Amino acid sequence: MSWSDAARVAWHGIWGHKLRTLLTMLGVVIGVAAVIVLVAIGNGASSAVTSRIETLGTNLLFVSPAAGTSFTTAEVPYIRQNVSLAERVVPVLDSGGKLTAGTTTVAAPVVGTTPAYADLGSLHLAGGRFLSSVDAQFGRHVVVLGASVSANLFGHSDPVGQSVALLGQQFRIVGVLNPVGQGPGTSQDNEVFIPLSTAQALLGTNGLSLVMVQAASASQAALVDGWLTNLYTNLYGSPSAVNVQSEDQVLAALSATRQTFTDLLAGTAAVSLLVGGIGIMNIMLVSVTERTREIGIRRAVGGVPEDVVLQFLLESMGVSLTGGLLGIGVGVALLRLAPLILHSPAVFSPTSVVLAFVFSTVVGLGFGLYPALRASRLNPIEALRYTG
Amino acid sequence: MIRVSHLTKDYQLGPNTFRALHDVTFDIEAGAMVAIMGQSGCGKTTLMNILAGLDAATGGQYWLNGREVGRFDPVMWSHERNRTIGFVFQNFNLIPTLTAMGNVELPLIYRRVPLRIRKRRAVEALEAMGLGERLRHYPMQLSGGQQQRVAIARALVGDPPLLLADEPTGNLDAATGREILKVLQELHRTGRTVVVVTHAPDVAGACERVLRMQDGRLRTALPGEDSDELE
Repeated sequence: MSWSDAARVAWHGIWGHKLRTLLTMLGVVIGVAAVIVLVAIGNGASSAVTSRIETLGTNLLFVSPAAGTSFTTAEVPYIRQNVSLAERVVPVLDSGGKLTAGTTTVAAPVVGTTPAYADLGSLHLAGGRFLSSVDAQFGRHVVVLGASVSANLFGHSDPVGQSVALLGQQFRIVGVLNPVGQGPGTSQDNEVFIPLSTAQALLGTNGLSLVMVQAASASQAALVDGWLTNLYTNLYGSPSAVNVQSEDQVLAALSATRQTFTDLLAGTAAVSLLVGGIGIMNIMLVSVTERTREIGIRRAVGGVPEDVVLQFLLESMGVSLTGGLLGIGVGVALLRLAPLILHSPAVFSPTSVVLAFVFSTVVGLGFGLYPALRASRLNPIEALRYTG
Repeated sequence: MIRVSHLTKDYQLGPNTFRALHDVTFDIEAGAMVAIMGQSGCGKTTLMNILAGLDAATGGQYWLNGREVGRFDPVMWSHERNRTIGFVFQNFNLIPTLTAMGNVELPLIYRRVPLRIRKRRAVEALEAMGLGERLRHYPMQLSGGQQQRVAIARALVGDPPLLLADEPTGNLDAATGREILKVLQELHRTGRTVVVVTHAPDVAGACERVLRMQDGRLRTALPGEDSDELE
C-alpha cells in the first residue's frame, strides 16, 4: 500500500467516527493548550520579577529581625551612625487591615513607613502626594493607596481628599500610586501606606518589621551588606538574630520559587497530555477490536501486516496531530484572554508551541503503536470469523 | 493449477492433538470448476484456509501454479493471494464503512495500482456484475445477492487465475443462490479455475468435479455418484 493510500484509509477511519474522534482529540487539545497557557503564565510571572529588578535596582538591602529579637525605631539612627555608606535608611512596620469607603470594604497589607520610602525609587504617584514629614511628626491619620486598592474602593473616581475607615479610625486619602503590575511577593498595587508613627500608635508598638537600607550603587551595596551583618553579629553575638538580605537575593529566591511554579505548571500540563495519549490508545484498541473483521478482509485480499500497522498508526497520528494543532489554536486564543482573566502578564513562548507539537506527535506515535501492532498480529482466519 | 500432496493439519487443543486433515492428496487442473463437499467439521474449511494461505499445513506439500507455496511466510502469501487468488465468502465480508467501489478497489490498493486506473477497473468489475447503478452504495444499502456480487467483483478486479468460494450461496435464498452459481459458472466458462467449498448438493452438482471430504479424509467422486450420502 502506498503512503497516500494509507493516509486515505486512515482519514476514512477518522472521518467515519466523527464524534468519537473529536472526543479522543479533546484530550490532546486540552493537553497542548494547557502546556502553552501554563508555560506562558509561568514565563509572565518570571518576567515580572525580572522587570522589578530593573526598576528597583540591586542596591537595596533588607534588614529584618529574627523572631524574639527586639527591633525598634532606634535601629534607624543606629544604622545611620554605624554604616556611613548607607544613603537611605527607611523603617517599615507591616500589618494588615480592612479599608471601608461607603459600603465597599477591601482587605490590604498596611505599610507603616516614613516619607523617605518615596526616595527609594519604586513609587510613582498617580495623584496627590506621598506621606510628609509633618504627617509623621504629628501621627496624622492620612493614607496613600495602591492602584488596585483605589480602583476597588472608588472605581475610576479620584479618591484624593476622601475619607476611608482603617484600623478603626477615619483616614484621609492624600495620594494614589500608579499601577506597577505583579512583582515579587505582594504587589505595591494592593498595599496602602500610612505614617510609621500613626501605625505604631494604633498597633501599640514601637517595633519594626524591617529596615530598608539603600546604598549608592550595587557594588557599595555589597559593602553595606557586610557592614550590617558585622554590626548585628557583634551586637547580638550571633549572625542569625538579624537577617540582612540584598534585593537580588530576595529576587533570586523569588525567581527560584517562580521557576518551581513554572515547572509545576508545565508538569501538570504534560500529565494532561499523557492522559490524552492514553485516551487515544484506549480508543485505538477499541477501534482495532471493532474492525477485527475489516483487518481480516484486508489481509485476505493481499494486505501485509505492515499495511495494517501503517493504517492504524496514521490514524492515531492524524488524531493527535490534529488535536495538537487545535490545541495550539485554543492555547494562543486563551493567551489573548489571559490578561483579562488573570490580571497578570502571560508571556507567549514559541518554544512551548514546538514542545507541544513534538509532544503530541510522540503521543500519537507512542500510544498508537501498540494498538497498530496488535492489529497487524491478528490471525487472519480468526479475524475473518470474528463477529463483534 | 493446484497440487496438494499428503497434506495433514493438526490442532493442539490443550494436551490433545486433533487431526483435522489426514493425508489429503489431489490435483486441480487450470480452468476446472471443482466443489469441495462435506458436512460441518469434516475439514473442508481447514483445507480452504490452507489453499488460501491463511493457514499453514502441519505436513505435506502444496504447489500453486507450479511453485511450492506451502512454505511461504505470511508476507509472501499476502502478495501471492493478491495476485493469484480471488476470494468469495459465505457472509460476503465487505467492509461496511466503504462503498461498493471502495470495497472492490481494495485488492488493487495493496497492489499499488494508481488511483485513476484503480477506479476505472473497479467500475468495470461492478458493471460486469450488473451493479453499474450501485457504485456509491454501502453494503447495508444492498441486498444479499447484490452484496455477494460486489464480493465477486472484488475477487475478480485483480484478474486472478484462481477463484476460491467458501459457501458462496450459504447466506442467500434459493433463487439468489442460483443466480450467484450462474455467475460462477460463467467465470469458469471464461477460463478461470473455480474452487467452491459447499455442503449444498445443487452447488456441487453445478461443478464438473467434486472432492468429497469426511472426517478430514478425501474421497473423489463424480457428480451424482454417492448422491444418497450427500447430506
